[in-house]
Amino acid sequence: MTLNIIVVTDQRDGTLKGASRESLSEARRVVARAGGGDVVACLVGHNLGKAAEEARHSGASRVLVVDDEKLKAFSAAGYAHAVGLVAAKVPAPHVFLAPDTTMGRELLPRLGARIGGSVATAVTSIAPEADGSLTVQRKVFGGRATETLRLRGTPVITLRPNAFGIDASPASDPPVENVPLGDLPAVAQGVQVTNFTSTRGDTPDLTEAQIVVSGGRGMKTAENFVLVENLAKTLGAAVGASRAVVDAGWRPASFQVGQTGKTVQPQLYLAFGISGAIQHLVGITNSRCIVAVNKDPAAPIFKVADYGVVGDAMTVLPLLTKALTKQ
Amino acid sequence: MDVIVCVKQIPDPETKLRVAASGKSYDPDGVKFTIVNTYDEATVEEALRMKEEFGFGAVRTVTVGPARSEEALRHTLAMGADEAVLVETPPNAVLDPLLVARILSAVIKDMPHDLVMVGKHAQDDEAGQVGSALGEYLGLPSYAFVTGLTPDSGAHVLKMARYVEGGEEAFGGPFPAVVSLLKGVKDPRTPTLPNILKARKKPLKKIPLPEALAKVGALPGAGNPTSETLAFTLPPPRAGAKMIEGQTPEEQVEKLLKSLKEEAKVL
Repeated sequence: MTLNIIVVTDQRDGTLKGASRESLSEARRVVARAGGGDVVACLVGHNLGKAAEEARHSGASRVLVVDDEKLKAFSAAGYAHAVGLVAAKVPAPHVFLAPDTTMGRELLPRLGARIGGSVATAVTSIAPEADGSLTVQRKVFGGRATETLRLRGTPVITLRPNAFGIDASPASDPPVENVPLGDLPAVAQGVQVTNFTSTRGDTPDLTEAQIVVSGGRGMKTAENFVLVENLAKTLGAAVGASRAVVDAGWRPASFQVGQTGKTVQPQLYLAFGISGAIQHLVGITNSRCIVAVNKDPAAPIFKVADYGVVGDAMTVLPLLTKALTKQ
Repeated sequence: MDVIVCVKQIPDPETKLRVAASGKSYDPDGVKFTIVNTYDEATVEEALRMKEEFGFGAVRTVTVGPARSEEALRHTLAMGADEAVLVETPPNAVLDPLLVARILSAVIKDMPHDLVMVGKHAQDDEAGQVGSALGEYLGLPSYAFVTGLTPDSGAHVLKMARYVEGGEEAFGGPFPAVVSLLKGVKDPRTPTLPNILKARKKPLKKIPLPEALAKVGALPGAGNPTSETLAFTLPPPRAGAKMIEGQTPEEQVEKLLKSLKEEAKVL
C-alpha cells in the first residue's frame, strides 16, 4: 500500500535542522517498506530559500513551500493552517511526520486535532502495516517503559531526534513548489516575536547535542565547572548540570538536565560528580551510552550508567580532556 | 479574567512499575501516586501568581481521571484555586490524549475561560498533546513551551517567553488562548494547614465520563481518529555500569576511552 508522507520540517533559524533531515530520511525508509509513495518536504515560514534548497537534496521527492511574511512568527494555529494548504496538493493517504523539536511538538498535535488524525509524539520506531496503518513505539515514564501504539486513519507523528539516523540522500532533485498562503485565519493572527536571547554560545543546544558533558555537586565550586566546559569544547559537546548545581547558582537554569530541566538524548552522556537523583535520571535515560564518574562507588548513577569510574571528577576530567586533545 | 488549569495525577516518578494483566498499561495496584504532575503544579502556581498580581477572577482546575484524582484537585484547591471539576473515568481506563483534550474542551466550553493553562506534559505518558489540541478544539490560539507570562488586559495580549532550541524568545499573542507551561516564575507553594482544611469545603463538581462524552459529540475527521495501545513493556533490568578499574586515574581514562571507541562505538 502506498503512503504519501508529508514531513513538516523545522528550520526556525533559516537552515534545515539535522532533526528535519533525519525525519526526511526515516520517511524514505517507511515509504520503501510500505511499498512506495512520495516523501514530501513541507516548509512553512518566512525567508525559506536556503532551507528549501537544502530540502531538495535531503531525500524528498517533492518540496512544497509556504513562504509568507505573515508566518514570520511561529504559531501553532497559523502553521497548522499552512500545512493543511500543502496537504491539499498531495494525494491521500497521508502520513504527517515532524522532528520532535519544540516546533514539531507544538504543531503536530494541533494539526492532528484539526484533521482528526491519530497522533503519537517522540516515537522511536515506525513500522508500516499491510492495511496502511502504522505501528509505532515510544518511551514513557522518563524512559522507564515503552508503549507500542497502532495509528489508524491519518497518522500524525513526531520523531525523537537521534533515534533514527540520516542516510546519504539519493540523487533526487525535485523543483520547489510554492503554495500561496492567502489570509491567515483570525485565530492565527497577532502573534509577534519581540526578542530572542541566545543561550547557544559556542556549544550545541542540550536537547540536540550528540554528546553532553554534565557536572554535579561533586564539582565543588562554580569555578571548577571550567573543567566540564573544557572537555565539552574538546568534544564539540553541550554542557549540562544537575539541579544541585543550578540551585547553588553555579550555572543558570538553562543548563539543567532532568525532570524540571531538559531531557537529553545524545549518543554519549558523560556525568561528572553527579550522584544520580531520580529527577536527574529521568532526563538522561534516552542517552545511548552513559558514563559516570563519581567518588562514591554506591552512587545510584552507576546503576543506570553503561560505564563507571570510581574517582575524583576533578582528576579525571583534565586527564580525559588531555587524552582527547592529543589525538 | 477567569483562568482554567488542566491537571493530571500520575504515578510517583520513583514508584516501581509493573505491567498490568492486559499487557497494555502499568498495573495501578500498589502504585504510589503523586499529588499532581510536576508541570501542572507549576502551572497552578503561575495561575495563582497572576491572580494575586493582576486581580484576576477565579482560578478553576479540571482533570480527566479516576476517582483518586480528587486528591489532586483538593491539592490545587488547597494551593488557592477556587473551584474544581473532575471528569471521572473508570479506574483502569487508558484514554488517547486527543480524546482527553476533546473531553476537556467540551467541559471548558461551559465554564468562563479567558485563559486555559496546562503543564507541558504529564510525566507518565509524556504525550504533550493536550494544550495544542485544546487550542484547536476550542478555536483559540495556543502557545507552548512558555516560561512565564504577563497579561495586558487592556490590549487583550499576553506577553510571554518561550523556550526554543538554542535560546529563549520573547513574544506576544492575543487571548483568550491556551498556554502550555514549561515552568512558572515561582516554585509551587506548599498549602498551609488552614488552607488544606478550607479546600475540603470548596466546590468540586464530578461529571461521569459518559456524560462528558455525550457533550463531546462526533470527533472531526474520517476514520478512527485515535491511537490504540497495543503493548506496554518494561526494558530488561539494567545490568549496572561496567566499572573501569585501574592502578592510576591515567590508566582508568585510557581504558575508558578504549571502551567508548571500540566497544560502545560512540567516540
